Amino acid sequence: MIKEKEHNNSKARFWKSVMIIAGVFSFALCILIIGNYFQINKADPVNTKVINTLVERLNHNPGDQVLRNEIREFDLLARKAYFTNQWQIRFGGYLLFFGIIVMVISVLMMDSTKKKVQAITIVKDNKLPTIQRNARKWITIGGIALAVITLIFAFLSHNELGNKFLQKELSENKLNNKDSLTANSNIIQNNDTLNSKTDTTNVDTAKTASLIEFPTAAMMSNFPSFRGPGGNGIDYHKNIPTSWDGASGKNIKWKTAIPLPGYNSPIVWGDKVFLTGSNGTKQQVYCFDKKSGNILWTADITGIEGSPSTAPKVTDDTGYSASTLTTDGEKVYAIFATGDIIALDMKGNKVWSRNLGVPANHYGYSSSLMLYENKIIVQYDQNNGAKVMALSAQSGKTIWSTPRKVKISWASPVIVNTGSRVEIILIAEPYVASYDPATGKELWKIDCTSGEVGPSVAYANGIVFALNEYAKLAAIKIGDQPKILWENNDYLSDVPSPVATDKYLFVVTSYGEVACYNPQTGDKYWNHDFGTGTYSSPMLVGEKIYLMDKKGTMHIFKADKTFSSVGDPKLGENTVCTPAFADGKIFVRAGNNLYCIGK
Amino acid sequence: MFFFFVIISLQAYDVTAKNRFPKPEFESGHVQPETITPAPRAMILEYLDVFVLIVALSLISWLILKKRSRKGVFWMSVFTILYFGFYKQGCVCAVGSVQNVTLALFNESYNIPITALLFFVIPLLYTLFFGRTFCAGVCPLGAIQDIFAFRPMPIKAWLEKVLGIIPFIYLGLAVLYAATGTDFIICRYDPFIGFYRFDATFIMFMLGAIFLLVGVFIARPYCRFLCPYGALLNIVSRFSFKHMTITPANCINCKLCESSCPFGAINMPAPVKEKEKTEVIVKRYILLSVIVPVLVFAGGLIASNFHENLAMVNHKVKLASEVMNNTNFGVKDKEAIEITAFKTSGQTVDQLYSEASAIVKEFYFGSWIFGCFIGLVFGLTLVSLTVFKYHSDYSPDKATCHSCARCMDYCPVLPEKK
Amino acid sequence: MSSEEKHKITRREFIRKGMQLSILIGLGSIAGGLITKTISEKTVWQIDTKKCTQCGRCATSCIKKPSAVKCFHAYDMCGYCDLCGGYFKPGTKDLTTAAENQLCPTSALKRKFIEEPFFEYEIDKELCIGCGKCVKGCGAFGNGSLQLQVSQDLCDNCNECSIARDCPSNAFSRVLNSTSYLMLGLRDSNKWKNKL
Repeated sequence: MIKEKEHNNSKARFWKSVMIIAGVFSFALCILIIGNYFQINKADPVNTKVINTLVERLNHNPGDQVLRNEIREFDLLARKAYFTNQWQIRFGGYLLFFGIIVMVISVLMMDSTKKKVQAITIVKDNKLPTIQRNARKWITIGGIALAVITLIFAFLSHNELGNKFLQKELSENKLNNKDSLTANSNIIQNNDTLNSKTDTTNVDTAKTASLIEFPTAAMMSNFPSFRGPGGNGIDYHKNIPTSWDGASGKNIKWKTAIPLPGYNSPIVWGDKVFLTGSNGTKQQVYCFDKKSGNILWTADITGIEGSPSTAPKVTDDTGYSASTLTTDGEKVYAIFATGDIIALDMKGNKVWSRNLGVPANHYGYSSSLMLYENKIIVQYDQNNGAKVMALSAQSGKTIWSTPRKVKISWASPVIVNTGSRVEIILIAEPYVASYDPATGKELWKIDCTSGEVGPSVAYANGIVFALNEYAKLAAIKIGDQPKILWENNDYLSDVPSPVATDKYLFVVTSYGEVACYNPQTGDKYWNHDFGTGTYSSPMLVGEKIYLMDKKGTMHIFKADKTFSSVGDPKLGENTVCTPAFADGKIFVRAGNNLYCIGK
Repeated sequence: MFFFFVIISLQAYDVTAKNRFPKPEFESGHVQPETITPAPRAMILEYLDVFVLIVALSLISWLILKKRSRKGVFWMSVFTILYFGFYKQGCVCAVGSVQNVTLALFNESYNIPITALLFFVIPLLYTLFFGRTFCAGVCPLGAIQDIFAFRPMPIKAWLEKVLGIIPFIYLGLAVLYAATGTDFIICRYDPFIGFYRFDATFIMFMLGAIFLLVGVFIARPYCRFLCPYGALLNIVSRFSFKHMTITPANCINCKLCESSCPFGAINMPAPVKEKEKTEVIVKRYILLSVIVPVLVFAGGLIASNFHENLAMVNHKVKLASEVMNNTNFGVKDKEAIEITAFKTSGQTVDQLYSEASAIVKEFYFGSWIFGCFIGLVFGLTLVSLTVFKYHSDYSPDKATCHSCARCMDYCPVLPEKK
Repeated sequence: MSSEEKHKITRREFIRKGMQLSILIGLGSIAGGLITKTISEKTVWQIDTKKCTQCGRCATSCIKKPSAVKCFHAYDMCGYCDLCGGYFKPGTKDLTTAAENQLCPTSALKRKFIEEPFFEYEIDKELCIGCGKCVKGCGAFGNGSLQLQVSQDLCDNCNECSIARDCPSNAFSRVLNSTSYLMLGLRDSNKWKNKL
């Protein structure tokens, strides 16, 4: 019995000494590893300042062979130190692990030699009510302390974070709210009048119709946006030339090189012509003198908050600046494939700018800007979160923004006066939809298209004409319940937009065929093949259609029941842009040049 | 150690994106090497983990309830440390799976791996049937602490109750942050994972070392005073169908087991004579029951006032506030990485603000619920502390007992022979 | 007294049964509710190279030292340039493999002459620390064939990736095991498939 006890004692002593040795060993290792850890942070190879400064010196002094060798040595040393350090830590970790295991085993062995049953320790104060009372007391104290600390912290750092964010965001939408409120009340009033005085409704609408002035006279005497005022493909000038020749220079007033590429089309206001260009790193807006063709100013678009540092990927045939500018005569507005939108005054000074978020668009953003009553209409049909927005012309703030459940579209908005109201008409897979320019409310929509939509719509006499390649041509009678009057898929287009008058609809295919339809019935009057591919859109000028083909030949023909050519003057430089028209002049972006045609 | 290297076969690949520099055509007959993408751990091993979990839980439940073997539990702990700890490297563990489940419940786009869901549900089910046998030796976090509990010292019973509230607060916070998609704080501050991986940040190692050192004297400090999954098990275990007992037959009140529990989870006999006057108890009970709703409301109110501080943990909110205040993350001489990255991302400031304000709003509602929950926990704890439970025998407190089976070794009573 | 006791016990028993049932129902409904959202595959962390801005945090934020994020080379996209933006420090004059010219801080990117004028670049994974310097250089001046990816054999697949939280450009995401690489230039048909 005694022997056994002695044996046990010696065993316990043995394990105790093992435990102490293992413990000291582990502790020492721990200290070493911690030391090493801090060294490893010092020997971080990514930020070796010494080497960097030496390389800098070498760059100033490229012939210095001594310096070169010094760098190589330092570099080797730093890398060695880093990897050895890591190896040391890892190895140390394993050793420490081993030490701890030995310690654990020795403690367990030591305990196993001890007697199991320990003396009964009578814990005083273990009566349940006492414990409970104490626990209650301290829980209350702890809870109150927690609450007080939390409240103090909350009080100190209380800064209405959520509201601030909202305010920042909403400050932009305030205008919108006001506008929509007034608009709504107008609608309600209108409804009231409609309901109460049915007899006078016709008069009312007639009144309003006569009140709507769109496009305005100023717009009509200029060329403020892609495809003319409202973007409907109609120009209102009269004395447009019909003959010129690029080779001989006949009727070519001037030709000016455009510094940066772009597929946007020129716009004209007063004595100024505007274009943009971008190569992915630089974005520029150009102002040309209408008379001389000199570049009056070039605005570099930089430093826009939120603008991506690297441009999104676009394809070569869309580029970074496919969107055409728009202007109201006070400011000129431009948008780029980066989502940067900018307003410049007529002297080229920035008035405001913002980034709308890089559009998710695999070819590149190409919808052009339109203007309606101090609102810039932006069709932002991107991969996720397609929307149409109206930005304040004064400040660039969002007046309204209406989400759209559509695929990406490369078409541009068309703003038309239907007689009773002004509508913004947009096309994208799967529908053509109309929006109220004041509030952004969707007025109507109709499913009628599919695919990657490039051509914008044409409108005339209450009918919208929408088409896309591999889809169909649809004539839509607009109204709160729009309906398709007729469909056809003989002649379709993937880039040029159609143009329509009360009597005729002209459809241009990308490979250069023109078809003329009866807009009411869909009966085809004629078709004609020019034989050259066309990306630029036809423009109706007076009684004539001007259609530029890719090779730079303008096909001019009468808007009539039968095909009758007026002329095919050649410019001689390839183009895909739509020409702009002004008093007696045509502006064409062809190749890297802007041409002015006129006498 | 072995890796699977799956080699990509040579097959025509047209590079859709246009490259600045075209791919060369070699004249010397040089063969272009393949891009090697090493495979992750095989899926079947993930299912094996679930299988091992079930087997381990069944085995340990049998060892505790039927075999009454402390030794068996010890060796199970060793197995758990080796398998779930060192081999599986601690992820996904049942403790962390709380967050996966929460995120799956609140975030539509998050799909929870079925293994994570099973790791959440299975231990809870076993606890409902057999008590916290999971804690005893299947949880890798518990197992390592259990083995390190060399010299456990009893701490005051009332203190135990007070500190027992912390896991619920931690659970609430973890759920709040997981539900808002902010962070998995349980994983971030898991103290022992560094040991299992031989790799961690310095802070994590130190945290683990401190917990283990403290754990030598105060057994299982993480399990008792922090573990959020333990808080769930604590509640479920109270209603378990079966639970381990100290004695295999009838308690003879020999007091031998009294100080055997390192977790203070043994209910001492509480004779009627200790009971306070009934009217005092009843009065207090009614008073506290009335207070509970008040506490719930107060908790919600306080926490909702604190929601901004809670929300600042979210990186989007943080980014928005840095952008708004132009503070550049406290970086002086150059643009902070976050700001640069944000500018590159193409997102507009508007979008950031609107997203951030939406998250702050989520936090506002979330912190109301969180606060109410904390208030409820405080209230119910107070109420339960007024109830006088009769105990004539020594029995494990089902809520806090970790089923480690230490007390069984102290019981001199032999099992009844059938 | 005894009947009262019994009554108490039955009441307690009733509460217990009720709670047991409600816990079972609760667990069942959580499991059932999530069953439609479960995926039988596990998820792993990966970098979307399109979002990555090469901030350098992958090297420092990973709990592993060196990081489980490595530079991967999509040879299919490589132009085999002599002047490689990923290999040389900007402004390097003589294109040699000397230490003062190398962009890689750990010399993990190897340069090998193939034929005039092509050079092949290879990454020594043992040395790569995932700092992304070469990736940045290659993306800025070259084809972007060097890309940062989580090397799945090294990744511990933490439930919450510590790099993901520190990533300023949200490039980290959980992806399905079977699509564990998100880099460009990997042949679609041969993206790593899980062969158990």
